[in-house]
Amino acid sequence: MFRPPTHVAPASYMSFVLIWGLVALLPTAGLLLWSTLTMENFQIVWEPSLQAYRDVLSSGRWQVTIRTLEIAAIVTLIEILLAVPFALWLAKGTKSAGVRTVSLALLTIPFFLSLSSRTIVWRGVLGLNGPINAALLQLGIIQEPLDWLLFSQFSVILGLIGPYFPTMVFPLYLAFMLIDDEVLAASKDLGASPAFTFWNVIVPLGLPGLGAGIVFTFVPMIGDPVVPELLGGGNVVVLSASVQSLLRILNYTVASALSVLMLVILVAMISLVAAITARFAKGGL
Amino acid sequence: MTNTSQDRILEVKTLWHYYGNTPALRGIDLEARRGEFVTLLGPSGSGKSTLLRILAGLELPTDVNVMTLDGQDVSNIPANRRNVSTVFQHYGLFPHLNVRENVEYGLRARKVPAADRRERALKMLEQVQLSDFAERPIARLSGGQKQRVAIARSLVLEPVILLLDEPLGALDEKLRIDMQVELLELQRRLEMTFIYVTHSQEEALTMSDRILLMNDGDIVQTGTPEDMFDRPNSRFSASFMGVENLFDAKVVAVSDAGLTVEVNGASIEGVWTGASLPSVGETICCGFRSERVQIADDSTTSMNSLEGKLTSHIYKGKYLDLTYQTALGPIRMRSWQSHAAPTETARIAWHKDQTILCPKS
Repeated sequence: MFRPPTHVAPASYMSFVLIWGLVALLPTAGLLLWSTLTMENFQIVWEPSLQAYRDVLSSGRWQVTIRTLEIAAIVTLIEILLAVPFALWLAKGTKSAGVRTVSLALLTIPFFLSLSSRTIVWRGVLGLNGPINAALLQLGIIQEPLDWLLFSQFSVILGLIGPYFPTMVFPLYLAFMLIDDEVLAASKDLGASPAFTFWNVIVPLGLPGLGAGIVFTFVPMIGDPVVPELLGGGNVVVLSASVQSLLRILNYTVASALSVLMLVILVAMISLVAAITARFAKGGL
Repeated sequence: MTNTSQDRILEVKTLWHYYGNTPALRGIDLEARRGEFVTLLGPSGSGKSTLLRILAGLELPTDVNVMTLDGQDVSNIPANRRNVSTVFQHYGLFPHLNVRENVEYGLRARKVPAADRRERALKMLEQVQLSDFAERPIARLSGGQKQRVAIARSLVLEPVILLLDEPLGALDEKLRIDMQVELLELQRRLEMTFIYVTHSQEEALTMSDRILLMNDGDIVQTGTPEDMFDRPNSRFSASFMGVENLFDAKVVAVSDAGLTVEVNGASIEGVWTGASLPSVGETICCGFRSERVQIADDSTTSMNSLEGKLTSHIYKGKYLDLTYQTALGPIRMRSWQSHAAPTETARIAWHKDQTILCPKS
């Protein structure tokens, strides 16, 4: 049975806080500390400084951060547009439990394969000699093969849509499942059109799911190194690659500063999403 | 009340509804007058809720000859464009809106200006004694208050008919009885047509002007509460309306005054409640209520009477439920002298005009 945390013996939750502090908060604190130091001849200088942050802003790494956020935002938006109708259909549209189970299973099966092997397939499809270019040439729509199909921001975005679709669908599906059928029937009965019901009942009641979906989709995508590397082909440098290259040249302080900045941006965004969700879920649109 | 066409607010003729190949409603005929309280009564699965959903427009019937609401054909009009409103079993209130916003919802869907809809919502909340709760979230209401919000939310739209789908089912015993009275007073005051779905014969008898008893997708009997209680016209009706003593009987004699039947060798007289009189030798159903059975005091000819031997007695507070073994079989008797010690053997009797004789099906 669920007991509120206040009824749990202090020893048990204090031990949890302790473990959490050790495995998650301590490294973060370390990151924060390192970002305020400088390096000379690959040696940490124990002297507070904001040099690392100045380096982040003066080098091209700031643009990389912006580009990463942009790609993640575009993909998240596409996921919302795709996942909301799909999750709504899955939760409320289909009456058959079989269809529902199969659909949910199909969403998880791709995870049995590694992300790299799923992503690499796009290379063949989008390449200069791939089926898309071949078909377009054959139909006479284009004269030259399209070179922006692969190793471009386009291919990175396309490649990210698949892996991050389920993380948007599942929370939305759960939120929509929790909407009582009677509430939807009541809306119709009270004279609401389907669009009115969607915006005034389904969206406000689905907002917690949307918030969770955004967090689970947007945040991991920021740190994803696989898809941009395989489909960006060096043309689309994202944050994870940038941090990796910094670590490769043993520039720990700038890498830390970049990570801290990213953390601040993410915490700010999640707080914003949470605040909007809470506000709309309470007051309606 | 006369039954002119102006009085008739709802008319349905030969309505069929299928789920796949299974008929859920089999050729229903139904009508309701202005200001009438009509109850659809029946066991679960009898189709009463489906019928209500079709009247609401939440489902469109597979096939119907006539379906008019206030003189207009509505057979193909969906719920959001039909001038009826439903109070749902679990209320179907919007959990993210407060009481006033819930009541305003239908007006908002109809694009009524904000100030106007606010005023109408508050006036309606006053009618259901919820003025002080206008800004309260739904989660912080009691069951009875939620019920009243649901009613206010429907009534503010001024529907021609209010449909109620077992609205008291989720409430506890005491509150249910209070709400019955409250609903009935509201209906009388508004002079609005209520169509009420329930599986409780007690609720139906208390509230209705007219009861439609449903079984297996069909209306099996229609009548006033008195008709339904005293003159069920089939074994199903009798059993559903709570007639405890039911026996198979063979018709011995038919006369204008009544029927004589034979049940397990005993001769019983009673009143025929079916449509056309049965013929001699036919097997019919004989029933009488346990509360009509009494210990015979003198031998009156207006009563059926039998020797019985007490086999069980159960104390129920206000009354005693006794079972006597007789030539007919076990007969249930309700004794209102709950503290009197019942005698082991007795001659029990019940009035012939309270003995129901009806077709077996």
